[in-house]
Amino acid sequence: MSTVGVATKEKEAGRKSWRTWSTYVPMYIAIAPFYILFAVFGLFPIFFSLYLSFHSWDGIGEMRFVGLENFRYLVTDPNFWQSIVNTFVIWIISTIPMLVLALVLAFLLNWPIRGKGFYRAAYFIPNVTSIVAIAIIFGSIFGNNAGLLNAALQAVGLPTVQWLNNAWGIKIAIASMVIWRWTGYNAIIYLAGLQAIPSALYEAARVDGASGPQIFYHITLPMLRPVILFTVITSTIGGMQLFTEPQVLVGNGGGPGQSGLTMVLYLYQQAFTQNMFGYGAAIGWGLFVIIVLFSAFNWRVVQRAGTVGLR
Amino acid sequence: MPKVLSRRDFLARAAAGLVGCALASMGCGTQTQGGTGGGRTTLNLWYWNRSIDDNILAQVNKRFPKANLVPQKIGGDYRSKLLITFAGKSYVPDIAGINVDIATYFPDADQFVDLQSVGANEVKSDYLEWKWLQGITPEGKMIGFPMDIGPIALFYREDILRKAGVPTDPDQLYERIKTWEEYFELGEFLKSKLPQRVSLADEITQIFQHVMAQGADWYQDKSGHFIGDQAHVKRAWDLAVTAHRKGLLANSARYSTDWNASADTGRFITFHGAVWMKLILKDAAPDTTGLWRVCPAPGGAGNSGGSFLSITRYCDDPQLAFDIISWVQNPENQLKAYVEIDLYPSTPSIYNRPEMNHPEEFFGGQNTNPIFSESARQVKPFYLGTEYNIINPIYAKELTNIATQGKDPERAWEDALHEIQKRLQLRGAWK
Repeated sequence: MSTVGVATKEKEAGRKSWRTWSTYVPMYIAIAPFYILFAVFGLFPIFFSLYLSFHSWDGIGEMRFVGLENFRYLVTDPNFWQSIVNTFVIWIISTIPMLVLALVLAFLLNWPIRGKGFYRAAYFIPNVTSIVAIAIIFGSIFGNNAGLLNAALQAVGLPTVQWLNNAWGIKIAIASMVIWRWTGYNAIIYLAGLQAIPSALYEAARVDGASGPQIFYHITLPMLRPVILFTVITSTIGGMQLFTEPQVLVGNGGGPGQSGLTMVLYLYQQAFTQNMFGYGAAIGWGLFVIIVLFSAFNWRVVQRAGTVGLR
Repeated sequence: MPKVLSRRDFLARAAAGLVGCALASMGCGTQTQGGTGGGRTTLNLWYWNRSIDDNILAQVNKRFPKANLVPQKIGGDYRSKLLITFAGKSYVPDIAGINVDIATYFPDADQFVDLQSVGANEVKSDYLEWKWLQGITPEGKMIGFPMDIGPIALFYREDILRKAGVPTDPDQLYERIKTWEEYFELGEFLKSKLPQRVSLADEITQIFQHVMAQGADWYQDKSGHFIGDQAHVKRAWDLAVTAHRKGLLANSARYSTDWNASADTGRFITFHGAVWMKLILKDAAPDTTGLWRVCPAPGGAGNSGGSFLSITRYCDDPQLAFDIISWVQNPENQLKAYVEIDLYPSTPSIYNRPEMNHPEEFFGGQNTNPIFSESARQVKPFYLGTEYNIINPIYAKELTNIATQGKDPERAWEDALHEIQKRLQLRGAWK
């Protein structure tokens, strides 16, 4: 290596890289449409929003440079912090029941029962239903005065609850919408994971005399771990982006006590209903930081869980 | 072999995609560039569903041989979409509908044509004065031409009031509840008289909004100074809080499915509302057909809602555009729009016409129009202020906190004022 002259090597490398480059040109052209579209609709808006976050702008008039003013306001804005707490609370009370329920459903669907295809389709249907329609239906289920749920409570002699007027009621309503919509989807994914587990493992366990619960905890669950991690990650992404459900259910303001104000809803409210585009952009970058931190945290937890599982 | 084929296939698709993109953008370019094709000036009109009668728009190009009006019904978030065209300085419509918050466009009045420069004053006498003034900036530039309005009145359940032994004739009832205080007294009387759980009105923010709508001042004066901490706002706030404290409200958020169900089942029995609430109520509470009536609003006349047409500075022929909008919104056409799609006219000369006055089945045969038209005539000129969209939701939020979260009203008031100040400072609009 050291015997070859540095200059000649560089020259050779240059020529070689040009040759390689020229053979790749058609390929670069071929993939250009995606990158051009990405630059226009992805990259540019990202950087423009960063630029925007240092300005005050109502959408029509001139932009006014305000430096870090938007960010200074952001960290002291109680609404912003409340929206973060709301998002995480809703995420927790929706994701945990949803994944447990999905696992149980998948387990049942994996059973040799009649009409399997029908059940699979039926559990998936909520996922393709219009989210606005879902929110309207849930609005009448959780209605304060004339809701279905309150009618049921009344029928069994329990006191009614002003669901959409109190902090937990609103969060439960939103979480139940998420659960209803995504349980089937996750169940189908779990089902695929269950079917990928080699039956030889089960047979061996049975030969060794393992009980049903033992098989579930020592074979099914560990073998499903990668699938479970996948669903946790997708639900995290979905949970952080929660928007339409609260918007249709309780409106742009997030409802009484702003209990349904999620992070993305707050961003939308500031930018598009109050036309504070600069501040909206700053919120967007605030969310970016939070999601990066949360992902890093998630990743570490997942890594640890992975090594524990291997042991 | 399959590899080569797929790559070629991919290239072909990519090329087709590129050509497609280019064609699409060219198509857009020629379509909306406007100009004077075939001797006609193309005028793009942006409006939202049910804001203008489509039958009238369809006649424009026949009546105006020089015009090629292209009405574009914009769905979704109309205001944001309009702002985005202004921000991009392209595809800005020549004529644009603007909602009741027209004052929030005043700081950017230079984006619009002064309608007085194209002869607006000639038709001024056809329109209600307060509505006309609403479209004029404090500097005297007119950017909005009157469309429909939203005079307010009180909707009430005749059958339930009768059961409680209250006079239910609209005039007699109004005699008893001319002021908010008398109205609340009626609410307490009903509570003691009626066996079932009924509330006088729907929600706390609506009380506040309607007291505000009955006055002339809102949250800012014409020079932009914040006046939302003054007596007129505090009075509206206190009345709303009083209604809540006396237990007169159903806590049913208006425009929600819960409100619809509550209206249908008689959970609340009266409410202040603009004329366009008639339609919402009919859809919400079909089971109560014939049971509702309308009387003048306790606390006085007022306006809630209504919209405007404006001509942007990107318009090639403002005079032609003005001739069109002043024709579309002339008294006869406003009458047609009222008959067709329930837009309440801003032109008082037609209020007594038979098309507007007839017994209404939903209101038990009552002709409700005289009540709304009288309210419309009595509205005092008002100024919503340039930061209305920022300030108004903050009061609403804190009032809802009082009603639903049990927040202390004094603290809620302080919090509201504090947040408004911080918000306006961030926007550079605090004065």
